[in-house]
Amino acid sequence: MRSLRRGLTPLLLLLPGGSWLIAFFAVPMAFMLLLSLQQGTFDTGYHLTWNFGIYPQVIGKYWALFLRSASFALMATALTLAIGYPVAYTIAFHGGRLKNALLLVVVLPFFVSFVIRTLNWRMILADNGMLFGFLKSVGILRPDFHFLATPASVVFGLTYNFLPFMILPLYVAIEKIDRRLIEAATDLYASRAQAFWRVTFVLSLPGVVAGSLLTFIPTVGDFITAEVIGAGNPEVFMVGNIIQRKFLDSLDYPAAAALSFVLVAAVMVLVIVYTRLIGSDRLSG
Amino acid sequence: MTDERQDQTEVERAISRFFAEEPQSRRAFLRRTGRGGVYVLGALSLPAILAACAPGSPGASAAAAKLRWLNWPAYIDIDEAMTPNPTKYPSINAFIQQTGISVEYNEGLLDNAEFLAQYTPDLRAGNSTGWDVMSPGGWVVERMARLGFLQELDHSQLPNWTANCADYAKGIWFDPDNKYSVWWQGGITGIGYSPELTGREITSFEDLLDPAFAGRVGGFSDMRDMFGLTLLSLGVHPADATVADVQRAQQKLLSVPKDHFRGFYGNEYYDALAAGDLAISVAWSGDVSQMALYDRPTVKFVVPQEGGMRWNDNLVIPKGTTNTVNAHKLLNYWYDPAAATTLSEYIGYFTPVKGVDDRIRADAATARAGGDTATADTYDVLAPTVVPTADQLTNIFPDKQLSEAEEAQWNSLFETVLGA
Repeated sequence: MRSLRRGLTPLLLLLPGGSWLIAFFAVPMAFMLLLSLQQGTFDTGYHLTWNFGIYPQVIGKYWALFLRSASFALMATALTLAIGYPVAYTIAFHGGRLKNALLLVVVLPFFVSFVIRTLNWRMILADNGMLFGFLKSVGILRPDFHFLATPASVVFGLTYNFLPFMILPLYVAIEKIDRRLIEAATDLYASRAQAFWRVTFVLSLPGVVAGSLLTFIPTVGDFITAEVIGAGNPEVFMVGNIIQRKFLDSLDYPAAAALSFVLVAAVMVLVIVYTRLIGSDRLSG
Repeated sequence: MTDERQDQTEVERAISRFFAEEPQSRRAFLRRTGRGGVYVLGALSLPAILAACAPGSPGASAAAAKLRWLNWPAYIDIDEAMTPNPTKYPSINAFIQQTGISVEYNEGLLDNAEFLAQYTPDLRAGNSTGWDVMSPGGWVVERMARLGFLQELDHSQLPNWTANCADYAKGIWFDPDNKYSVWWQGGITGIGYSPELTGREITSFEDLLDPAFAGRVGGFSDMRDMFGLTLLSLGVHPADATVADVQRAQQKLLSVPKDHFRGFYGNEYYDALAAGDLAISVAWSGDVSQMALYDRPTVKFVVPQEGGMRWNDNLVIPKGTTNTVNAHKLLNYWYDPAAATTLSEYIGYFTPVKGVDDRIRADAATARAGGDTATADTYDVLAPTVVPTADQLTNIFPDKQLSEAEEAQWNSLFETVLGA
């Protein structure tokens, strides 16, 4: 009797979290997988034909989009790291009493919806809007200069929207660092730069990894930035845009579901490679 | 020896402090929230209690049923300065006054394909879509009618339509007997441009591909509009186009560098063209009329010499609504010449009602007599544009009635143009 109860208890403890995962993750994923293997049209209905051929078809047609999305996401992640690390460092080490206020300021843009923030940037960065209109009238920029609808503008939009996702994990990791270790490093004749790179940065690596994952993964699948700031320019068309178009305009559900799964698989592969490179023992700090 | 407290972050320290507090404070906390909860519940139930006490609204329950209408943006006269009385749309207010039916007007229809995708599941299941009247485009009406999603119109309840509908607005390819739809407003897809930005007049589709305008050209993300104009420039009527023709159209659109088209827009091309981000763009006629009146006086509309695409939106009554009598009243109202004139004076699309252009000219004369030359001039310019001219009617062409397979092929070809 006793051994039976002992065996059941872990299972029962897993039940709440497990059933949540199954109901809201595993089941929808399985449904999408089955959807990708179906054929048919929106009007006449879809039928499960185990059409595995759709995967090579979809990869062959859209591999360039995956590369483009990955490169945009990498650039955005690198930029958020470059911008976010100094911010997190300053708040953690020199924030003092203002730490909570500064963190609030970092998160404050999130009080406004993602789409509205992106639309506002489109307004600010308009060709003859408040920023470029002024620069053009002063003569710094040539009259036909435009920033919107270029790859640079999309990377900028992605960087802006996902900056807090990088800053917060970085802050948590940096805040935990024992200051006495840095003191010890300088005691052992390390310069300030060496102390930073060999002690602080290394100890904050778990935060860097977490922040990069939190930034890269949503950025790869983002479609709003390319549509709003990129204005649907063919040069910035991302994987998210083609999935959205297939779901909403072409009503080609199997192809859209297949593309989503390829995206999930590709991102998983990249994440596994990345965490192996960094070393998962570092993640536990 | 490690100092555990220092390893914790501030947040963790705050949490442990909270849990270390005495149990008494927890009781006090619950007491406080309990009291607050009663107040909140009271406040929430107050409107319900008041509503139950209030006298019932006058009029039969059927007539008081709210009429819900889903339409495109920029498709109704708006008086921004007016406080909602009960809405800010003068012509709808007139309807409410005349019939006593309240109207919920929504500009949520942004794209034909998205609209179809959004409501097909409900319509297929026989549920209510939440709307009594909708305004989809032609090919959508054909598909919805074929799939049994629309209610048949009772023309005995539409005397205004029978009396006042112009010939060009009846019997169109997607609903030849007007069994399910009546024309709402129509227009032409052509080219809109700002002459001071292009530096010259625009006459042809080829001007869209002119390298001189690279980076300031707008395309449409609507496959039928974009391919339609391109097919016409290849000398093919869209209604007769084969897949081979569409492939040629695709190649033509891909022949320009990737950054030639600044973007392929939905309704948002309006903002870009009005702001001057676009020098030249595929555009809808009524949008450009409104832009010239309100947002950018210099903008012009031209039907490409190879031909423009004719389109119109339609008022339909979807299945799943029981508010059919009121819906018919709304459809009938828009074919009253006075209502149609008020509408056209603001939105500038093609009206289906006979005699509207003369009425607009009469309003111009009245305004001029009253000393309002600005409005008079506006109306004089507007009057001829709300009815398609004979020239235009010969040079504008309808969409092709696409089967699902064809549509999938054309969509696939278009995706490559968009950048996929």
